[in-house]
Amino acid sequence: MSDINALRELRPAPPPAELEAMCMAARDRFIAGAAPRRAPRRWRRPVLAGGLTTAAVAAGSVAVLVLTSGPGAVPGRPTTAGNSRTVVTTAWTVSEEADGTVSIYLHEYANPAGLQRALQADGVNAIVRPIPYVLQTGFNNKPVVRPTCNYYVTSNDRAPLSVQGAALAIGRRALPALFVIHPDAMPPGSALFLAFMANLPHAAGNIALKPVVLSNDTAPACLPVPAKRPGQSAPTPTAKAGNPAPSSLPKAA
Amino acid sequence: MSIDTRASDAELIVRSLTEPDLFTAVFDRHSAEILRYVYARLGRDLAEDVTAETFLAAFRCRAKYDGAWPDARPWLYGIAMRQISRHRRVEERRLRVLRSAPADGPTEDHSDRAAERVTAQRLGPRLAAALTALPRQDRELLLLVAWAELSYAEAATALGTTISAVKSRLHRIRVRMRHELGDEYAVNEENDDE
Repeated sequence: MSDINALRELRPAPPPAELEAMCMAARDRFIAGAAPRRAPRRWRRPVLAGGLTTAAVAAGSVAVLVLTSGPGAVPGRPTTAGNSRTVVTTAWTVSEEADGTVSIYLHEYANPAGLQRALQADGVNAIVRPIPYVLQTGFNNKPVVRPTCNYYVTSNDRAPLSVQGAALAIGRRALPALFVIHPDAMPPGSALFLAFMANLPHAAGNIALKPVVLSNDTAPACLPVPAKRPGQSAPTPTAKAGNPAPSSLPKAA
Repeated sequence: MSIDTRASDAELIVRSLTEPDLFTAVFDRHSAEILRYVYARLGRDLAEDVTAETFLAAFRCRAKYDGAWPDARPWLYGIAMRQISRHRRVEERRLRVLRSAPADGPTEDHSDRAAERVTAQRLGPRLAAALTALPRQDRELLLLVAWAELSYAEAATALGTTISAVKSRLHRIRVRMRHELGDEYAVNEENDDE
């Protein structure tokens, strides 16, 4: 065999089932980086202090703490201009700032429904979906996670590049991550979309889509990820130009 | 914004100067290929980031794109190569791993290629050691041809050099590889020429 062929055989390749998700993650980062940026903001952790009203709400095993501040603030109710509102859980913190932006400080992928509610309460038309998965035992008894379906946000689903700056991802892939949302910069009828695998063991890794602004408020369909059969690579939908999938696939609410 | 799927990369890049959204079509066309190459060079942890950085760098310097090239792949590989070179230590670690373990896994599983794969995996550690020993510029060229599967003309564009320079350099590299690996590793350039 030739040297070039030998080298080709040795070329490490990403698992076919993960390639699409990796491309989408890279796409999110590219779009976030290419979009016009606003002045950077520093994240400040919410601090319990005098004058704050607190209401602790227990939802299952996830503790939720709602903090409101400002004159006339009422726990659990939307605040008036100039106020700020913060929802703290063990997994994430959603904070509405006085300037109208909403920050998501994500330190665990959990409680997507609660995150959606918290964002909507802050005026962000958000769709947060869990990515269904199965956990398997892999080499050396390490947990291996496999999505049973995944969300592929196509260029038809996405709002234009100029709008994607409404959702800025600050930080890298690893948690904790900070997202800053500008609800005012989201066009009417658009929605913020997030999806992640919830409540995974840390060692299993995760698939998470960074926030993306959709052109409408319909979540993309979660497309089944075929199980990998022994000795055969799992086919994945491709987003390459010229192929209709997945942009022409039906959507689910 | 309307995207003509038949439009060449060059057309899309030129139009993206006034309609930036069009550049996402260039991303969608080539991201999987660039990501595979970055993955092979740097591994899982950096593949997404470096791919995104490659396209961001391309987006920022798209005004300099030479419209005479309808296919943007060589240009993108040239940018990817520069992004990868910023992670030299990671790549060296990865090559050390390849020296002890042949590969993450084959991309295809055709039985008629099994013999080639076995031979390649047997040679794997020595190939990886020989790759590590190559000067950086030579390794870049060899991997553009072997892993990115660029033609000599495309590799020349990616590296900003001439086809004849690519040919002569590649010949020298392969002779050196053969010297390090012995006769088992046949230099069969005719089969690989474009």
